[in-house]
Amino acid sequence: MTGRVIVITSGKGGVGKTTTSANIGTALAKAGNKVVLIDTDIGLRNLDLLLGLENRIVYTIVDVVEERCKLKQALVKDKKNPNLALLAAAQTRDKSAVTQDQLKEICEELKKKYDFILLDCPAGIEQGFQNAVAGATEAIVVTTPEMSAVRDADRIIGLLEAKEEIESYKLLLNRVRPNLIKENDMMSVEDVVEILSCKLIGIIPEDTGIITSTNKGEPIVNVEKSLAGQAYRNVAQRIMGEDVPFLELDKQENPIIAKIKDIFAKLKGKV
Amino acid sequence: MRDLFANLYSRVVSFFKSTEEIGEQTKEVARNRLKLVLMQDRTNLTPAVLERMRGELINLLSKYVELDKELLELNFEQEGDQMALMLSIPVVRAKTEEEIQKAIQEDEALKNVALADDEDEDDEEGVKEETDENSEENEEESSEDIEEENSEESEAEEGEEVKQEEETSEETKEEGVNEGVNEGVNEEPKKSKKDNESEKE
Repeated sequence: MTGRVIVITSGKGGVGKTTTSANIGTALAKAGNKVVLIDTDIGLRNLDLLLGLENRIVYTIVDVVEERCKLKQALVKDKKNPNLALLAAAQTRDKSAVTQDQLKEICEELKKKYDFILLDCPAGIEQGFQNAVAGATEAIVVTTPEMSAVRDADRIIGLLEAKEEIESYKLLLNRVRPNLIKENDMMSVEDVVEILSCKLIGIIPEDTGIITSTNKGEPIVNVEKSLAGQAYRNVAQRIMGEDVPFLELDKQENPIIAKIKDIFAKLKGKV
Repeated sequence: MRDLFANLYSRVVSFFKSTEEIGEQTKEVARNRLKLVLMQDRTNLTPAVLERMRGELINLLSKYVELDKELLELNFEQEGDQMALMLSIPVVRAKTEEEIQKAIQEDEALKNVALADDEDEDDEEGVKEETDENSEENEEESSEDIEEENSEESEAEEGEEVKQEEETSEETKEEGVNEGVNEGVNEEPKKSKKDNESEKE
């Protein structure tokens, strides 16, 4: 078996790399794939929190590299899904603790036993980014419809194109707000795709459910009703090579506001 | 006018709705998880180390009381600038004097064996002290005294910990004072220069 190694990167911080990694990883595992998530953000680890695995980490990627444990020992299995495992970053070290070659080696080792190896990349374009990208052959560039995020995504795409190892890269547009787009106060999906001229792999709507699911340490793809969860599940399907149409976000209305409008319409009728 | 009210109404309702949904259900979960993780980050104590500490504490406490091992809680709590290690011990029953005596003697025996194993010159004094204590115990000192001794020891240890914490806080204060002094020193020559200048004039 040779697994696919995909790096999830963005350049800008706070656009949802880690959330995306956790959700795509979980969705791929739910679909029956064997998945390893690697947190390469050494010193600022958070993927463990989003997966709710923070109390189960004994060994980290740095322990593996420094041969304090075997790779297998450092893989933390997910609570719900035995197909999903996490290789956590160390919190007390910095990016220099793991080199490009070491990360490559780990990925090569994992490829033999897993279908997908997802690398959660740190923000920035420095050492941490270079290390994470070195192990991968595919990339997902996460961005939001904001100027700074799109600009940084463009820079990342430029860097990815220069990498021989990266065979393909795709864009994931996160935190899209259809209401704002409708009012022409936010760049539309088409705008961003046109500016970056990059193939799209997913459109994720802004969803307050992300906050609650992060609080609980459970990826939103596990919430059946969530729109963002559905969007992430679709991304996983596309990664697996299926042709899934993009969600039509502008047709969906915030259920709470819809309800209030409903109530108010009734009140008006009575008056 | 109606639109204005409609707007206001929907805003108020959505405000309460959102705080209910996000706030009450998962806020506490997030807060507690985050606290625990931050304690681990700050203290550098991994779950594995904490578990080991728990195990050792259970062994120690089991000598004196019978406790519910499953329900024993070991948590860090933040009190202002200081960190406290909170230990909650569910006691099933107090042990009898004989049981305590026996446990202590077993423990001492184990310690002596361990010490005898590595007979380094440095350790010899320690061994002598230990054996002295043992002989005293063999003279059937009342267990109450031993308990008192132990409680005194633990109190002393706690006292030391508190002192250490105080020392660190004092250090930070001292640094602050030093900075203040330095600034003062830096300012003084200037003033004196000015004074000199004014005197010259």
